[in-house]
Amino acid sequence: MNRFEFSGKLKTTLLIGIVIGIVSLILEYFVYSDDVHSLFWGDVLLNNAYFMGMALMALFVMAAFITAWTGWYTVFKRLLEAFNAYLIPGAVIMLILAIGNYFGWHHLYLWADSHFAEHDEVISGKSGFLNINMYLIATIVFVGLWLLWRYKLRSLSLREDAGVKGDYSYHRKMRNWAATFLPLAGYTSAIMIWLWLMSVEPHWYSTMYAWYTSSSWFAGSWSLMILVMIYLKGKGYFDKVTKEHIHDMGKYLFAFSIFWAYLFFDQYMLIWFGNVGEETAHFKLQQTEYPFLFFTILILNFIVPFLGLMINTAKKSFWILGSVAVLTFIGHWLDIYLQVKPYVAETTAEITGKHVHAFPFPNLVEFGVMIGFLSLFLFVTFKCLSKANLIPENDPYLEESLHHHV
Amino acid sequence: MKKRKDVVYGIYNDEHDLLNAVRSAKDKGMEIMDVYSPFPVHGLDPILGLKESRLHIAGFFYGLVGTLTAFLGMTWIFTKDWPIIFGGKPYWAVPSFIPITFELTVLFAAIGMTISFYVVSGMGFGVDNFILDDRISDDKFCLAFDKDEVDASAAKDFLESTNVEEIHEKVVKA
Repeated sequence: MNRFEFSGKLKTTLLIGIVIGIVSLILEYFVYSDDVHSLFWGDVLLNNAYFMGMALMALFVMAAFITAWTGWYTVFKRLLEAFNAYLIPGAVIMLILAIGNYFGWHHLYLWADSHFAEHDEVISGKSGFLNINMYLIATIVFVGLWLLWRYKLRSLSLREDAGVKGDYSYHRKMRNWAATFLPLAGYTSAIMIWLWLMSVEPHWYSTMYAWYTSSSWFAGSWSLMILVMIYLKGKGYFDKVTKEHIHDMGKYLFAFSIFWAYLFFDQYMLIWFGNVGEETAHFKLQQTEYPFLFFTILILNFIVPFLGLMINTAKKSFWILGSVAVLTFIGHWLDIYLQVKPYVAETTAEITGKHVHAFPFPNLVEFGVMIGFLSLFLFVTFKCLSKANLIPENDPYLEESLHHHV
Repeated sequence: MKKRKDVVYGIYNDEHDLLNAVRSAKDKGMEIMDVYSPFPVHGLDPILGLKESRLHIAGFFYGLVGTLTAFLGMTWIFTKDWPIIFGGKPYWAVPSFIPITFELTVLFAAIGMTISFYVVSGMGFGVDNFILDDRISDDKFCLAFDKDEVDASAAKDFLESTNVEEIHEKVVKA
């Protein structure tokens, strides 16, 4: 089975998931709403940023692998390609957010409000970067660049597949595109993280934040990729992907979970020890209002994968690796949740003048929106996966990948 | 206790020849004394039937000892033995203990595993190990049989039948 068939039960399930997401969004907009619909817009931002980040990181990982002449992953390279397909619907939703920010449809960002931009000293000092024009232009230009690179890498890969075996000209071109994407994605993803996520709290900043969020994206991307791979293998696809490949995917999840913990701790300890009021405000809110969430993400994103995946056999077992991947996937979503929602609630309170009741933990509707976005992500991924052969027959590294053994 | 070993061994030029020889020796049911190579040969362990090393399990516990030493040590020092306020932080300032805890975890695991490795593989200062051939630490591969376990002429015949470069006999201290 070299071609993935996207139909039947899976398609129906994902469509139901998307409907759940839409219903949750409608409920958030009309029922559980405040004057500025902060729940609705906040959830759109949170989920789209998370899933788009995962798609971007899948593209980044693929570009890094191509640049590093990596051989082992080639057998499931199509999965990485399919994973970054969400960049397209994600870009559309981000564009809606950016246009909405420009025309004042939503009030996610305090700096977008002209009153605060003029009278708040900290915000007006940052207005050279944090302004609605910058937000719109950066979203269009940078996401457009990501889409261009995605299109190029994907179409070169497909053309290589349609060509003859032993023709490496496509791969050489791909290498150029992949190598140029690395610095491009490195800088632009940081800028987009500042604009999309860090600026929900415009008085605060951290130089670690962009790294921290992208490591969340990385780990989330690997855990979802592992889960999709386990599902596809269970259906009989990817029979050439052996335990050795799964083992190495597990290693990536393990490594990036530790990387996440390292960045979390770096950011946390320096701010804690420095004890500067404008910096500690970020963690004070998290620890006093959301203590359960704060410690839950530490357990889910570091303790569980660190102890759970430490042993060799755990990374080779579908059950252990799969359960850890589910937990880290939810953990990193909760992480982004904690980086966005409390501050959106604060902004809403500032703008409407009313106290907004923020839950200490995501409620069912918020999980419903997450399920909707996840289903959309998987729908786009499987759709993309079904459009090409599962194994890139003409990739020069395929032979090495088939004999991957550590 | 026997103090000497009578060894027949073949020297190979290439690791593939060695792998084939080891495989056919196993097929014939010959007792292999040992195999020497200048670097880890991929796929050799499963053919020889070696179990996975338990060194990393020991390493985990060495690391755990390091974690506890550092964390409990600092806790005791800064809360009981000699409490000092640093930067207006509480005595038991957990986040500032983490870097040292991490370092001691790594240090204990590294030193413990190194010592364990030397002890288990019988190396280290003052230990006199036999060396069959100096070249096995450079570019040659060696498959050795003990004459007590395998008939000497049968071992030689077997080595002749493989793609061997040289065959030697040697008596070494066990």
